[in-house]
Amino acid sequence: MIGWLSRRVLQALFVVLAMTVIVFIGVNVIGDPVEILIPPDADQAERLRVIAQLGLDKPLWEQYVSFLSGALHGDFGKSFVFSEPALQVILQRMPATLELAICAVLLAIVIGIPLGLYAGLKPNSIFAKTAMAGSILGFSLPSFWVGLLLIMVFAVQLGWLPSSGRGETRALLGIQWSFLTLDGLSHLALPALNLALFKVSLVMRLVRAGVREVLPQEYIKFARAKGLTERRVIFVHVLKNIMIPVVTVIGLEFGSTIAFSVVTESIFAWPGMGKLIIDSINMLDRPMIVAYLILIVFLFVTINLIVDLLYTALDPRVRLDSEG
Amino acid sequence: MTRISLVAALALAGLATMPRTAALARDLVMGASTEPSAIDPHFSRSSNNQNIAAQIFDRLVTLDANLQLKPMLAESWQNLDPLTWRIKLRAGVLFQDGASLTPEDVIFSMERAKDIPNSPAPFTGNVGAIAAMVAVDPLTIEVKTKSPTPDLMDQIGLVYIVEKKRAEGKKLDAFAKGEAAIGTGPFRFKEWVPGDHITLERNERYWGEKPAFETVTIKLITNNAARVAALRTGAVQLIDAVPPSDIKALSAMKEVRLFSIASSRIIYLALDTDRDASPFVTGTDGQPAKSNPLKNPNVRLALSRMINRKAIVERLLDGAGEPAGQIVPEGLGGYDPALKPEIYDPKGARALLAAAGYPQGFGLTLHSSNDRFTGDGQVAQTLGQMFAQGGIKINGIVTQPYNVYAGAAGKQSFSAFIFSLGTVSPTSATSLRNLLMTVDKEGGQGGFNRARYSNPAFDAKMKTAMAEFDPVKRNTLLAEATALAMNDTALIPLYWPIVTWAARSDITYTANRGEDFQADYAGIAPH
Repeated sequence: MIGWLSRRVLQALFVVLAMTVIVFIGVNVIGDPVEILIPPDADQAERLRVIAQLGLDKPLWEQYVSFLSGALHGDFGKSFVFSEPALQVILQRMPATLELAICAVLLAIVIGIPLGLYAGLKPNSIFAKTAMAGSILGFSLPSFWVGLLLIMVFAVQLGWLPSSGRGETRALLGIQWSFLTLDGLSHLALPALNLALFKVSLVMRLVRAGVREVLPQEYIKFARAKGLTERRVIFVHVLKNIMIPVVTVIGLEFGSTIAFSVVTESIFAWPGMGKLIIDSINMLDRPMIVAYLILIVFLFVTINLIVDLLYTALDPRVRLDSEG
Repeated sequence: MTRISLVAALALAGLATMPRTAALARDLVMGASTEPSAIDPHFSRSSNNQNIAAQIFDRLVTLDANLQLKPMLAESWQNLDPLTWRIKLRAGVLFQDGASLTPEDVIFSMERAKDIPNSPAPFTGNVGAIAAMVAVDPLTIEVKTKSPTPDLMDQIGLVYIVEKKRAEGKKLDAFAKGEAAIGTGPFRFKEWVPGDHITLERNERYWGEKPAFETVTIKLITNNAARVAALRTGAVQLIDAVPPSDIKALSAMKEVRLFSIASSRIIYLALDTDRDASPFVTGTDGQPAKSNPLKNPNVRLALSRMINRKAIVERLLDGAGEPAGQIVPEGLGGYDPALKPEIYDPKGARALLAAAGYPQGFGLTLHSSNDRFTGDGQVAQTLGQMFAQGGIKINGIVTQPYNVYAGAAGKQSFSAFIFSLGTVSPTSATSLRNLLMTVDKEGGQGGFNRARYSNPAFDAKMKTAMAEFDPVKRNTLLAEATALAMNDTALIPLYWPIVTWAARSDITYTANRGEDFQADYAGIAPH
């Protein structure tokens, strides 16, 4: 277990290191942050001063070395745009994104799994067929279009739900959250639904396929023959056995929702970190890009770790040590 | 009896303040397309930051809707000799915490602006001319400059005045939290939730006309469709940067009103007038050209005459542009009324090309950004078609995201490329200096002269203009300099975009050339 864990951490560190090299070279190849940052009335003297202040006059390898030595002390550099520590700017916006991602994944679980189960058990019922047809729409419609549609219908036409921002927030553990107030919840509804749509469809289809695959198997027949209640057969013997792919997918989806929900965040003006990374890329704000990606690598490694641990809980045959 | 007289008195009081009562207890919710990077007014000169700073802090002078200087905290100013200025401060101005404005606050602000760590767009240049500042009396400051600086007020006048005792030694976070963000402006800073909103409150101690709104909430909605939707639902009452494609639908709504003006941002086509071999100019056979036709002013004029600017603004931009024949629009100092947009004349263009020795034209690749301003990529496509009709062999049209494009354009990577430059000062001086004067790192000129245009006659005229103290004479000289460059087709001006704000019908807005989005430009519509 410990050997497995340390191998995982080492792997992650290597990925982070490779990623920082790529970002440093990449941003340099893409363009010149100074061209974008300085105002239209700046003169040449000012341009040189800004270049020197941001440390961009030094050779790239020197900039990279000084970044690395800073990073070892937990300092990922200051944002070119905000002049605040990059990590701090990102963490400030992380709760909003986390909240949205958790809501979307929860929706995917509470809607997707029961629907998928139903569709798997009663594949010929009209409701199951409708749900399956609907799920095709769910993952084929682009989310920016669905988002705008949701705004047009629920905010502009019906006027039921607000279309932008987080609404009223309340502090919990020193962090502001929307889900603690009614106003905040109403603001959360549309973006969470927009993000959840794809995931609901995905989870539903996965569960349905799993159920269809498992039902005809011997051990289910045996469980029924043993006279177990239908409830026990479905919720223990069927569901537990199809959970491994579902947990994997939900884990990955959760990670990518946190990291890349930029489309939904910008359409609903949700002040999360997805919008921040796109703005940072547009401004070539290198410290922000590096810090963000380090955080995301860390996040994915952690999520995968949890998923792996869940495997062992779901299926005792899975041994972590035998993995690479 | 007492009750009746009380009612009467109240009614009278009500009548007397009638126009004001409409303003009482009104709140304004704005939907803004951009977000500031800090509340500290000295941190960045970018328009995102200025929009917020200008509502909280005053400056010695301000720019009106036509970008002309208007006295603010400085009531008047005069220069005693070429190196000495005397600035008279407005009497009775209070900071939002009740302290009086003193010359020390002004002097402190100028000194603070000089050196803000890690600022990407500092005010250093604005205060660079100052050699010394002395408070002569509680309302007078004397400024000594290092060299004669006729546009001193255009420079130091635009530095925000902070309160010394609040801001001394304070960093960005003290401003973001509000403790240092105390100015003399019409609104008090209350809260900034990054990415979400900024809240301002009316400054009850404001020296000028009281703002119409008690609370102003600026929601940060960068996505165009989302911002327009928020206005349609009434979630916000006022938005900026209305996309031209939405204008038709919005103007059909009776609950919404639109406010438009041509911006002072010039969209232009820059041409490589510098090198003998330009990377994207070829012969008609597609082989690299032996000489660079773009160095010939008649070829540049021919290109300009191939462009149907009217068609571009009307068809491509849905009317959201004003054809341009120079750098700044009418109303700004240095505008030359004689310089009309070049006439569309494809036949004349062919004759010019033939006379210049290119009867068969030459090969050219156009470059443009595709996410910098509305329609930039399409404008490049259209220019390519117009040039092709005019007899140029278009080898390609390459559009890139701005973060890639801007750096490459600065390194002389292109031959003909579309760019924009906003003028945010009362005259064309800064823009002309940065855009068209010969690149000179020590002298500070030509910072945005990406095409490396160089014209000694123009440079000399600009130097005389910038040294002229009399504003009228200076503007005449600037206009003459502009004519020198434009008659040489130093670049091809295309159009000034028309910018639009939209409001619910009970709100008005003053459209302004600087594209500012501030609550003090908003008002309550008369019934």
